[in-house]
Amino acid sequence: MSAGGLASGKPDGEWLRVHPATPFVRGWVALAAIGYFFGRDSFERMLQGQPLIDDRIAGRAPWLLGGGALLLVLAVLGFILSWYFTRYQVAEGYVRVNTGFLFKQQRQARLDRVQAIDIVQPLLARIFGLAELKFEVADAGESAVRLAFLRIDDARQLRATILARASGIRLDPEHPEAAAPEAPEQLVLQVPPSRLVGSLLLSEQSVFVVLGAAASVMLSALTENRAFFLYLIPAALGLIAAYWNSFSKGYNFTAAISPDGIRLRYGLLDTQAQTLPPGRVQALRVAQPPLWRLFGWYRMQVNAAGYGAGANNGEGGSRTTLLPVGKMDDVLNMLALVLPDPGTADPLRVFHQGVNGLDSDAGFVTTPRRARLLAPLGWRRNAFAATDTALLMRSGRWWRQLVVVPHQRTQSIALQQGPLARRFGLADLVLHTTAGPVVPRVIQADIREAQALFDAQAARARAARRRQTSEQWLAQVAPALTEPAPTPLVEPAETPDLTPQQPPRLASSPREPGWRGPKLDQRPPTAPQQEGQQRG
Amino acid sequence: MPTAAIDPPGITWLRVSPKYVTVRLVEWALGNLVMVAVLSLPLVFVRLGWWRWPPLWLAIGIPAFMLLLALWRLVLIPRQVRAIGYAERDDDLLIRGGIFFQRVMVVPYGRMQYVDISAGPVERGLGLCTLKLHTASAGTNAGIPGLPAEEGARLREQLSARGEARLAGL
Repeated sequence: MSAGGLASGKPDGEWLRVHPATPFVRGWVALAAIGYFFGRDSFERMLQGQPLIDDRIAGRAPWLLGGGALLLVLAVLGFILSWYFTRYQVAEGYVRVNTGFLFKQQRQARLDRVQAIDIVQPLLARIFGLAELKFEVADAGESAVRLAFLRIDDARQLRATILARASGIRLDPEHPEAAAPEAPEQLVLQVPPSRLVGSLLLSEQSVFVVLGAAASVMLSALTENRAFFLYLIPAALGLIAAYWNSFSKGYNFTAAISPDGIRLRYGLLDTQAQTLPPGRVQALRVAQPPLWRLFGWYRMQVNAAGYGAGANNGEGGSRTTLLPVGKMDDVLNMLALVLPDPGTADPLRVFHQGVNGLDSDAGFVTTPRRARLLAPLGWRRNAFAATDTALLMRSGRWWRQLVVVPHQRTQSIALQQGPLARRFGLADLVLHTTAGPVVPRVIQADIREAQALFDAQAARARAARRRQTSEQWLAQVAPALTEPAPTPLVEPAETPDLTPQQPPRLASSPREPGWRGPKLDQRPPTAPQQEGQQRG
Repeated sequence: MPTAAIDPPGITWLRVSPKYVTVRLVEWALGNLVMVAVLSLPLVFVRLGWWRWPPLWLAIGIPAFMLLLALWRLVLIPRQVRAIGYAERDDDLLIRGGIFFQRVMVVPYGRMQYVDISAGPVERGLGLCTLKLHTASAGTNAGIPGLPAEEGARLREQLSARGEARLAGL
């Protein structure tokens, strides 16, 4: 059965190549390396006021130059060949890429399995108006499909096409060859550069920087040994690089919402535009380092199946950031995007409690008082709460954090108890999600509560999964619920006629003031329609 | 069961084969005895007069301590094996294990990506196998060791069939 809303046009999309400038944009690093290798020596000699080329090798200069030229030609040839043999196609619910001229590789990925689509523009590509498209599926490793480089307009168009087909909308049958329109989007928030700089200065690493610097100064004053300052130089260089990296990654951070999901854009020199389709966020964390409390700032990170562990490498670290720094309003806005249906009557109070609160309130259940010896600071803060759609876990008195896991995203659940916890009648509940920076864990809950949560959570996850049937978010048909859920926000049972209807996840039901979930219309040019009754 | 405190009530656990104790004993012997033997080498050298350092009490103390620890682990093995259990429910599989550090895990059938069966040389000799469940999460470290081979095969088929019926994507 052909997946994807492929009612359009040619049964087999044409095979395309990436942009001809690609070899040079990709190869500039190689060129720079060769240039550096041959240029460094001459440069150093120039600085020392010696002749540009060492007398001893002057006689061999032609050979060296020839060798360098050969290397250059080989490198360029390699890149050109790899460009020539890289071709891609989007058709029949699949994206296919063929690469390699010695070792050929043919790869295809199902469009409706898309977990995220990124458009990345490294600086040089940006100068040439090119962009790389990354198509992520759930394998937690490298990108499933990387197309580098396309013209930026082509990349956007391709993204729109892929998302349109993955979402399961049917394009206008009258004009099958018409390009899929880009979904309209609505700006949700922007992070001003001043706040970004402030957040970096007050971040965790700054605390360690100040402590480390103070310690070095103290040591050098005490021992009257200036060498400590020398040790600081490489550390300072590394720190500057780290700060610069965070700054350039978080610069001009913009979040927007469209029917195709959450759009994140950021970057100073290298820019990146991520699209996270609805329902692809596996877990989410709102965190606040101690110093950020002065300004009421928070950071949000997500686990998405395509992004992998992420936190270890710089690229993934920024890709899993949903909000580098924002105020409570921004946090609530982003939460509303990720969780359009909070599953509770008073989401503002619940999430405020979850982010900042103490003690059992708004449905939160804390660590019992008898465990205050075990967690003298944390016992009033460690808590969990379950809404109809998600489990909320908060912890950390100083390093506050709130983890949110939608019920239908729970993979498996484990209840754990060590000997010490047994003495206090406590247990930990661990929710397993895909790899990422967020590790959901209910810590030090009362054993009875934890057991009840364990059972209830398994049941809730089961029910939530039944409600969600399709990977194609605009085509999701909420099946008649077997058990009537108490939440007023759940969609009414499916009507039998297949008229175009609002997608359930984006439907605007009467919302509480302040919970500004996405309330977008559908793509205006071509109305999405229910395609068939069932899909695989 | 000595401490069944964290199990959800009302579940009849299926236990793994008692023969799995043998597998654990072999693993224990390979790990712990070799370590104790290596740690005893300084004692031998000191006794032979080849080494001056460490003092005799230290040379005896460290391997003796490790031996005690190893024996303690040995004593625990049968109880640990008895603590492993699994239960098939309508929609999910429950797995429990551990005495001091207890763990109960629930894996929904619809979340399983694939099921592995493996058997090492000792396990194969005893007609046992180890079944492993994989979900999209690396954290799901769900294995049932020491299953009789036919029970493992049955469980694998059962899990695959149920997983297919309840397939829920990611």
